Amino acid sequence: MTMIRIVTDSTSDITKKEQETYGVEVIPLKVHFGNETYFDGVDIHPSDFYTKLEQSPELPTTSQPSPVDFMELYKKINAPGTEIISIQVSAALSGTYQSAMLAKSLLEEEAAIHIVDSRSASYGLGMLAVVAAKEAQAGKSVEEIIAKIESVREASQIYFIVDTLQYLYKGGRIGKASALFGSMLGIKPILTIDKSGEVAPVDKVRGHKKAVKRMIELLQQDFGSKAIHLVVAHSEAQESAEELQRMVSEVLNVPTHSFTELGPVIGVHTGPGTLAVFAFPV
Amino acid sequence: MSKQVITGEDFTAMVLAAAEQLRSNQDQVNALNVFPVPDGDTGTNMNLTMTSGVQELQSRRSNHLGKASEALSRGLLMGARGNSGVILSQLFRGFAKSVADLDEADLVQFAAALQNGVETAYKAVVKPVEGTILTVSKEAAKHALQQAGEMNDAAAFMNEIVQAAKDALARTPEQLPILKQVGVVDAGGQGLVHIYEGFLKVLQPGAADWVRLNAPVIGVPSRIIESGHELAESHRSAQSHIAVEDIEYGYCTEFIVKMTPKGQADFHEEAFRNELSAYGDSLLVVADDDLVKVHIHAEEPGTVMNHAMKYGALTRIKIENMREQHSDIVSGDEAVKSEAVPAGENSQPGSASSKPAGLVAIAAGDGLSDIFRSIGVDLMLSGGQTMNPSTEDIVKAIRSTPADTVYVLPNNSNIVLAAEQAKELADKRVVVIPSKTIPQGLAAAIAFNGNADVEDNEKAMRAALRQVRSGSITYAVRDSHISGIDIHEGDYLAMLDNEIAVAGPDQDHVIKQLLDRMLESGDEIITVFTGQDAGEEQTRLLETYISQRYPDAECEFHDGGQPLYYYLISVE
Repeated sequence: MTMIRIVTDSTSDITKKEQETYGVEVIPLKVHFGNETYFDGVDIHPSDFYTKLEQSPELPTTSQPSPVDFMELYKKINAPGTEIISIQVSAALSGTYQSAMLAKSLLEEEAAIHIVDSRSASYGLGMLAVVAAKEAQAGKSVEEIIAKIESVREASQIYFIVDTLQYLYKGGRIGKASALFGSMLGIKPILTIDKSGEVAPVDKVRGHKKAVKRMIELLQQDFGSKAIHLVVAHSEAQESAEELQRMVSEVLNVPTHSFTELGPVIGVHTGPGTLAVFAFPV
Repeated sequence: MSKQVITGEDFTAMVLAAAEQLRSNQDQVNALNVFPVPDGDTGTNMNLTMTSGVQELQSRRSNHLGKASEALSRGLLMGARGNSGVILSQLFRGFAKSVADLDEADLVQFAAALQNGVETAYKAVVKPVEGTILTVSKEAAKHALQQAGEMNDAAAFMNEIVQAAKDALARTPEQLPILKQVGVVDAGGQGLVHIYEGFLKVLQPGAADWVRLNAPVIGVPSRIIESGHELAESHRSAQSHIAVEDIEYGYCTEFIVKMTPKGQADFHEEAFRNELSAYGDSLLVVADDDLVKVHIHAEEPGTVMNHAMKYGALTRIKIENMREQHSDIVSGDEAVKSEAVPAGENSQPGSASSKPAGLVAIAAGDGLSDIFRSIGVDLMLSGGQTMNPSTEDIVKAIRSTPADTVYVLPNNSNIVLAAEQAKELADKRVVVIPSKTIPQGLAAAIAFNGNADVEDNEKAMRAALRQVRSGSITYAVRDSHISGIDIHEGDYLAMLDNEIAVAGPDQDHVIKQLLDRMLESGDEIITVFTGQDAGEEQTRLLETYISQRYPDAECEFHDGGQPLYYYLISVE
């Protein structure tokens, strides 16, 4: 029987537990503070990241895994009869997908690798990896799994709010929300990652409270009474995340939910105080 | 011999006299403002509106009544400022339509035209309020219709109209409670009465001489270009004179001094200005390097020039005998310069529409303009001296916005009608979001979504207006008594959602009381925009107060730079 291995990258923000349970391989992106380089999720984790961020005089940067990094990982997990589904962070946001594609072409004869552009990020990507792994465990084929990933992506919703658009702007990932940068009033945009995989604004309000309220309204508009699995991701704000989950569960049909922390690579581009919700119909 | 018809020339004389009557009484009309606040003056707005109408009328003089009134109507429409100005323009629009094909009108036709004006004006206002200029115009027209058939003397007929208007004006406090409270009649209605009085003056016997002698120099305040490099021909002419006998300084004198090196060394602008001011008024002195431009209305132009010659040779000398000037010698370059500052980076007049939707907002204050632009407004329009831009200003702003649909945020209850009127005149799709305050306008601008369709946007923006409370701090320009509050001239006034909320001599106390009334749960978002005249110390006190008393509230301070209002406060 074909063994299907799932690979994703560290921007997926899946928990260690999920990694182990589902046997998902996670390739780390890199975070650079000045001349220091850290491997996301390996030698830098959310708690130390945000501390470093606060202390650092310069903004950190991120970089994708090189094609060689991918090649080594693929070779490592490859075996006769294995197929690899490698789901990456949105190509519009990172060169990771590109690296994976290059690695695949370099390994053409040696391994059966399918690269998928999630057009998503953080747990939006993570969810796809988890779903893929579950489907693989259930014995589905590569085609079926990829189709499933597509449909989950299609049906899921992502909303996030940032404390300031500065990080997105300076990191160059502000995408379609660029017009909102520089507004002199404390305006909180509700952002999403749109169908093309870019950051895009959905709405804008004033103040954190209103922003949270608006995110919930949007979820209501999207799902009504449909059952959803809710994941709340945060950067060092467990309490806010729990409160948000409670508020959502009050007005929506949420049989299951979980929490995760936004990893350092995501953190470089969104900044501290970011709150995100990922909703997937069950 | 009694006059029985009104020709185009009669009408022109009547309008000129009306404009003059309005102009010379504008302060009195301004004093009738219900709120004793320093802006939004009905008298000034109506005067500026009328001036625009007169300019157009004079540029297209005709003995054909229809053509003359059409010219007036056109000018009024474009120059309309403030709600009263807009209604005035609608009154004459209806009038003009009615007499369009007439060379001259008999009294019955004149009355019918007045009535048509009334109907047009009522239609233009979404919610007509009785006890205002509308009522006065309505009563006057009604009475005119009743009398026209019985009379054959224009003077007596007009007198009837004036009397009916005055009676209606006197009744306005009975119809609008707040007028009664404050103890005034309606300002717009009073302005209209002055207009009818002007009409009457011309129609009375012996008026012919009056017209010749008193025909006003409709001097319009033009923008003074004070930049040293632009000694442009900006003529700051005084407002018109009433009667020849009243002109104290009869010669409008202008020249440029080209200073010699010694002259330049001796020249001190302040001292020079002081010396000249003894010789007349309307003095303007602009100095740049070795050139000094002088403008003065003096009785002895020679003396003035002798004085200036001490510093160098005189050039570009122009002297005019103002007593000889007739109303039709209004120089063409004394146009009312629009106060619009179309400073959006995207605005290019006449440029092709480049996006589906755009925003125009009206505000006075550089800081406020910056803020509006930073949240996506394409073009900012300032209201000028009375804080009310004209219909034409708004039309121009709409045209300069490179979008197919333009949303207009008037941000002032006295500008909403002008914005609606601009909508009719612009050749684009325009949506007026009736914001009555700056905070409302900001909320609406934030709710705007460039990608949403018009219905959704309009709905969202209108809803946003209701979700913010607007407060402001200004000062009282006279004594008053409103809503049980005693106001003394010079008191600080706090307005809350366009009503007077607090008044008192201690600014700090007034602001705190306003804030306390604006906040409910204590965790709202407070935004304070400091004005041009806001005191640093007071602002600091305010910041401290908010952080101590409302620790759960989110608070932002911004420099709005607005005139007349020390603070604008938004709570949402």
